Amino acid sequence: MNKFLTLIKSGILVTLRFRLGVFVTIIGNLIYLIIVYFLWRSIYLSSGNNVLNGMTFEDTMIYLVLASSMFTLLESYLTWRMHEDIQSGKIILDLIKPMGYQLYKSLGLIGEMLFKLVTTLLPTFIVVYFLSNFHIQLGINLIFFFLSMIIGIVISLCIDFLVGTICLYTQSIWGVNMIKEVLVLLLSGAVIPLNFFPQPLKNITMYLPFQAIYNAPLQQLLNTELSIYTRFSSMGIQLIWLVALLLICKVFWWKSLRIITVNGG
Amino acid sequence: MNRIIEFENITKEFKILNRREGLKGSIKDLVSKNYSVIRAVNDISLSIGKGEIVGYLGPNGAGKSTTIKMMTGVLEPTSGTIAVNGKIPYKNRCQNARNIGVVFGQRTQLWWALPMIESLKILKDIYQVSDEAYKSQLALYESIINVKPLYNKTVREMSLGQRTLCDILAAFLHNPSVIFLDEPTIGLDVSMKSKIRHLIKELNARQKTTVILTTHDIGDVDALCERIIIIDKGSMIYDDTAGNLKKYFGAYRTLKLKIKGEYILSDIIQALELRFLNQTSMVVRTSEEWISILSKEDEAPIMEILMFMQGFILINDIKIEEINTEDIIKKIYEGNI
Repeated sequence: MNKFLTLIKSGILVTLRFRLGVFVTIIGNLIYLIIVYFLWRSIYLSSGNNVLNGMTFEDTMIYLVLASSMFTLLESYLTWRMHEDIQSGKIILDLIKPMGYQLYKSLGLIGEMLFKLVTTLLPTFIVVYFLSNFHIQLGINLIFFFLSMIIGIVISLCIDFLVGTICLYTQSIWGVNMIKEVLVLLLSGAVIPLNFFPQPLKNITMYLPFQAIYNAPLQQLLNTELSIYTRFSSMGIQLIWLVALLLICKVFWWKSLRIITVNGG
Repeated sequence: MNRIIEFENITKEFKILNRREGLKGSIKDLVSKNYSVIRAVNDISLSIGKGEIVGYLGPNGAGKSTTIKMMTGVLEPTSGTIAVNGKIPYKNRCQNARNIGVVFGQRTQLWWALPMIESLKILKDIYQVSDEAYKSQLALYESIINVKPLYNKTVREMSLGQRTLCDILAAFLHNPSVIFLDEPTIGLDVSMKSKIRHLIKELNARQKTTVILTTHDIGDVDALCERIIIIDKGSMIYDDTAGNLKKYFGAYRTLKLKIKGEYILSDIIQALELRFLNQTSMVVRTSEEWISILSKEDEAPIMEILMFMQGFILINDIKIEEINTEDIIKKIYEGNI
């Protein structure tokens, strides 16, 4: 157990070392939010309605601000790191650690995420809470949100690992990773709330794993009309994807490793 | 003796896509099934015991790294059986990892952004080293080299030599039974090299760790290795003590001459060939202002060469050198063994 905690701690330590990076991330995030604010304000103004697809301007902004800070949290660059490790052959040093590669890598990342949780998501949440005049409900939904977000994080890591593993075959990750990032950002509801999608597309996304990363936890947090039944069924879908992706990830990695040829040396 | 590593008829083949040239070729390559098989390691059998320091030599691309990767369990041999500590490494990679340590001269396993002592603490927990073992290991390190000033330095701030030093310490931390050192002294200056050799030697002596060392630096071999394995084009061409190798070539010596004025190398070679008709293995080379003549004592004695040379050129300075391992390896490659 001790080694897990140590690796998580190592992630936190590494992030702390790059304190400038933390500030830059926050500033970048702010600029993104300013753009989002004006974009959506003009969308609402030009439509002439106060409520679009069941969401007021305020709802949309709260959703997107929290989504963007979750994005900061989830942005692990894992695929790029794997790509770099594979290309440079450095991956061999991780492969000869006395624990599985994926677990080993994940633990460090979880440390980084914990750090960002405290420095980014939590402050954002508090600011949004006060700025929106206590628009966010504080109750059982927080617990659902938290659990749902944890599942979302693991699903996101699984997808990253899957794409990173493809790198073993292609030796280059640019294209594949770009496709992944666009798909995740769009279909997860990270940049556009899924409510704004046409109904057929929305229905499809509900059964894809991507919405489990952003949409599911944010709905748990913000949608006050969710019944307990919907909450559990949403989490059920998340859990099914979680198990499926964990399995695929393990099997794919395990199969790939058998044909791995570490470059260099 | 306790056998740590056993290789039996190990062969490793890689399948490599034959790439075509140009844009058209590259597009065709996308669906090509035109593979060729490259045999990186060819039928190697060896057995290494506890506490040995083995020099594992060979030119670039000879299959050294492939062999080491098979020992660490990262690669699976195409055929043959392999055992490290009695276990098959590629089937028990995690278990095997506890018993081995690896240092790659050009890469570091330390955390780039963290002070070295933090890296050691993380490794301590990953390898589940007990507190007492960790403390005594650090005490051991401190007794061999002055490592304390490095504890609070991050890897980023270290020189290459300091980093390699720390990487070696990190690899020994969990007291593994085998250590693989892949070109540990590459790119280091003389004093750092000797420091690192001293460290390896001490750690090997005190902990009875088996050390497998690949290097292109003959100084490493001379300073550390009792046994030498030479591999070329995937096949093992020599496996014996370092002393034996020298004994075999002991009859060879190199005469180095510094000559006053201009000379033509081909003329000298021709003259020497005419004078020593029955010699078979003389090699004449020039480096900077020195001419070096490698010869076998019973065919062309050094003294006679010297006297002969003195007859027609002015010699400023002379040196006589025993054959070094570099020449031996070259001779083996040239097929003179």
